[in-house]
Amino acid sequence: MENHLLELRSVDVSYGDAQAVGNFSFYIDKGKIITLVGANGAGKSTILNAISKIIPTSSGEIFFSGMSTAGLKPEDIVKLGICQVPEGRHLFTKLTVLENLELGAYPVHTRPFMKDSIEKAFTLFPILKERINQSSGTLSGGEQQMLAIARALMARPKLLMLDEPSLGLAPKVVSLLFKTIKKLNNDGVTILLVEQNVHQAMEIADYAYVLQTGTCKMDGHCHDLLKNSDFKNTILGIRE
Amino acid sequence: MSYFPSLAVFFQIIINGTFLGTMYGVAAIGLSLIFGCMQVLFIAQGTMMILAAYSVFWLVYFMSIDPLISILIIIPVFLVLGWIMYKGMFQRVSQAGPSSTLLLAFGLMVFMESMMLFIWSPNIRSVKTSYSTSAFQIGDITISVSRLIVTVVAGIATCLVYLFLKKTMTGKAIRGVSEDRVTGMLLGINPNRVSAITFAIGIAMAGVAGVATCLIYPFDPYFGFLFSLKALIAIAFGGLGSVGGALLGGIILGILESLSSYTISPGWADAIAYAAFILVLIFRPQGLLGKAADKV
Amino acid sequence: MLRLNQMKVHTKYIAGLIVVIFFVLCPLFLNSERSYFIYFLYTTFIYITIAQGWNLIAGYTGQVSLGQHAFFGLGAYITAITWRAGLTGYFDPLAFLLSGTGALLLAAIVGVVLLSKLRDDYFSLGTLGIGEILRVAALNGGSFTEGAAGISLNSTAYKSMNHYYYTALFIMLFTLVVIVLLIRSRVGLALIAIREDETAASANGIPVLRYKILAFSIGAFVTGLCGSLNAYYIFHVHPPGVLSLNWVVIPVLMCILGGAGTFMGPILGAFVLSIAFELTSIWMPEIHPIFSGAFIVLVTLFMPSGIMYYITNHKSMIMRRLRLTVFKWMNQKA
Ligand SMILES: Nc1ncnc2c1ncn2[C@@H]1O[C@H](COP(=O)(O)OP(=O)(O)OP(=O)(O)O)[C@@H](O)[C@H]1O
Ligand SMILES: [Mg+2]
Repeated sequence: MENHLLELRSVDVSYGDAQAVGNFSFYIDKGKIITLVGANGAGKSTILNAISKIIPTSSGEIFFSGMSTAGLKPEDIVKLGICQVPEGRHLFTKLTVLENLELGAYPVHTRPFMKDSIEKAFTLFPILKERINQSSGTLSGGEQQMLAIARALMARPKLLMLDEPSLGLAPKVVSLLFKTIKKLNNDGVTILLVEQNVHQAMEIADYAYVLQTGTCKMDGHCHDLLKNSDFKNTILGIRE
Repeated sequence: MSYFPSLAVFFQIIINGTFLGTMYGVAAIGLSLIFGCMQVLFIAQGTMMILAAYSVFWLVYFMSIDPLISILIIIPVFLVLGWIMYKGMFQRVSQAGPSSTLLLAFGLMVFMESMMLFIWSPNIRSVKTSYSTSAFQIGDITISVSRLIVTVVAGIATCLVYLFLKKTMTGKAIRGVSEDRVTGMLLGINPNRVSAITFAIGIAMAGVAGVATCLIYPFDPYFGFLFSLKALIAIAFGGLGSVGGALLGGIILGILESLSSYTISPGWADAIAYAAFILVLIFRPQGLLGKAADKV
Repeated sequence: MLRLNQMKVHTKYIAGLIVVIFFVLCPLFLNSERSYFIYFLYTTFIYITIAQGWNLIAGYTGQVSLGQHAFFGLGAYITAITWRAGLTGYFDPLAFLLSGTGALLLAAIVGVVLLSKLRDDYFSLGTLGIGEILRVAALNGGSFTEGAAGISLNSTAYKSMNHYYYTALFIMLFTLVVIVLLIRSRVGLALIAIREDETAASANGIPVLRYKILAFSIGAFVTGLCGSLNAYYIFHVHPPGVLSLNWVVIPVLMCILGGAGTFMGPILGAFVLSIAFELTSIWMPEIHPIFSGAFIVLVTLFMPSGIMYYITNHKSMIMRRLRLTVFKWMNQKA
């Protein structure tokens, strides 16, 4: 068996009686950018949360570097090197920018590199350095998103999962954000990107999965999908 | 009964109120930490205080250990007790919602209260030390030595907790998890561990407050519930989730009580405190100090 | 299928009726003045009433009040004060009505103030404060409430335990009927909607505040009635007695033990807890309160949703086991 960095095998997730994700399989190889697209309520966030063990799966298996993650806790997942930037940022608004960053390096094995990681974060997002002692609730939306990403990077993830990072940002900031994501990827971080901004996501991604009501509708290399009429029709809303 | 106290008397009232309020404040800090972190309204806080007071009573009685030294025993014991309480009880009940944890805390209160009644009888006890009755004068104002010591101890405990929350990783994690549990988990924080630590600290603060109380006031097992209520009122005054606010809220309550028992009558002091409590809950649920105290 | 359901409902009614008839007949077979059982039922009826009152606001509507003792105490004081003043007499329906209404009005006023502004824990704390304020007021009420000593009533008026027993039974049945009618009506649906999601309820046009106050006030009314009856029973109304936190703690426990937000829950819980308390107070009077505390802790730890919840969740399992046993037994016979 070839070792994918992350692999989901026929995963089911339910909230009570309602199934949100059914029989979903996919994988990510090291160094790639994979994007997960789909309408509102398709189950994208649910999948990320299942990977992070925030919600339990009812069946199926999740493998990371060939090892099953069954029975692990959310904090173990972070220690393995999977970090999620949740939808809507979820900063600790009462804490300062610096404190948010420091908490990003909470797992013990990442603490020795904390100073270093903070420096890196500031070179990646210089604006954060200016706001260092400001409470993070007072940052602008774009700054908050940057901080959320920087915070997740503090734990030196092998796989970074971003849930709709472009939500509520101005177009200019969005392009900058995608450039940064690409840069991170070039530095060796594998990325799982959930996006509504399908076009831009597909531009930087290698491979895409299309989700519809909890199941995988189609998948393919981004440049192939962009030519696929069915894809254009359902996801991009372009009729031919 | 004079409605207009002289300046010296007025200062005396303020100082007595501050002493009293510091104790409310220390208990309130524990309560506020616990509530902030896991939304548990731990109304057995006052009963834990009284448990500490009785422990000191025994330490003095059987081993002649000075109450101030007994703090060094009480704090670790209460830390462990708090940890066990969270791990053994509150962790599993917390999923069932706030009314279940409230009820659990209530059950613990009734249980401990009656245990203490059984062991120590309902008689009012007090702890006597060599410095119990000593006092000194500054102008017309009398300051009792034990009250001063107690206030200093309370101040130190508050500062330590403040620094812990502000400077250590665990402290920051507590503040983070208090705000957003799930995000804490996404950063690799084990929220149950953090909650257990918070609970332990909260209970230890009850221990400190208990030692402080027994140095000044006589107590009986029923005293605890009253103190829980007072601590809750202090939190309402100071605003939830801030160490400084809780202490300040306690002091405001203490001063309010000593002022109203002087100008109106001691019997009504409690009712006035409750009325102020309800008014504050209604008109300033974020606390009298509002945003200013929102930090730590 | 429909028939079966109807039959089930009918059996429920019939079973209920039989139990009620049994209660009505009890004093005929037992010497009420001496019988411990009659006294036990009397207190249990009172607890069921208060527990159902609390169930309405906390169990069904989701607003945890910790101030029921205020209503109980107020009812008792109104009865005592009006009787002492000669405005009402012994077992005067007017006194009951005044006591219930007084509690209802207090709840309505408190409700307007607290329920409109406070949610959840803050409401609990606010109501707790109300009880304490009333207690302090009673302690400091001068000749009106006679302070800590309390009001002593003319105990020579006592005639028969049967009066108390039947009144308690009546108040309880009245409460149960009111609750059933309420819960079966649109009001009940609205209350549950408020508990489940207040914002959604109000978005759907439910006047949230009005319904909360309604539930709170009805609960207070029946609790006030119980307070009134209690004043007649002990002939002595003083703060540690009628304004004791026990009047909120014990009913709340019963309700949670049985299952808050269910009709049978408080009834079941009241009987189970009363029996447990009675047994311990007979055999181990010394540690009776310790047991109560431990009991609360254990129940919340191991049955946080109550007995009723457990039963309904395991009903099919229990029934299947039962049927299997019957089936085996019949097979053996054949
Ligand atoms: N906590 C929850 N309880 C119950 N149902 C939920 C919960 N969270 C999500 N769902 C349901 O699961 C389905 C998938 O939700 P999910 O949040 O994964 O969608 P999504 O693809 O991330 O949508 P969006 O693009 O709007 O973020 C939806 O139907 C949603 O209503
Ligand atoms: Mg989503």
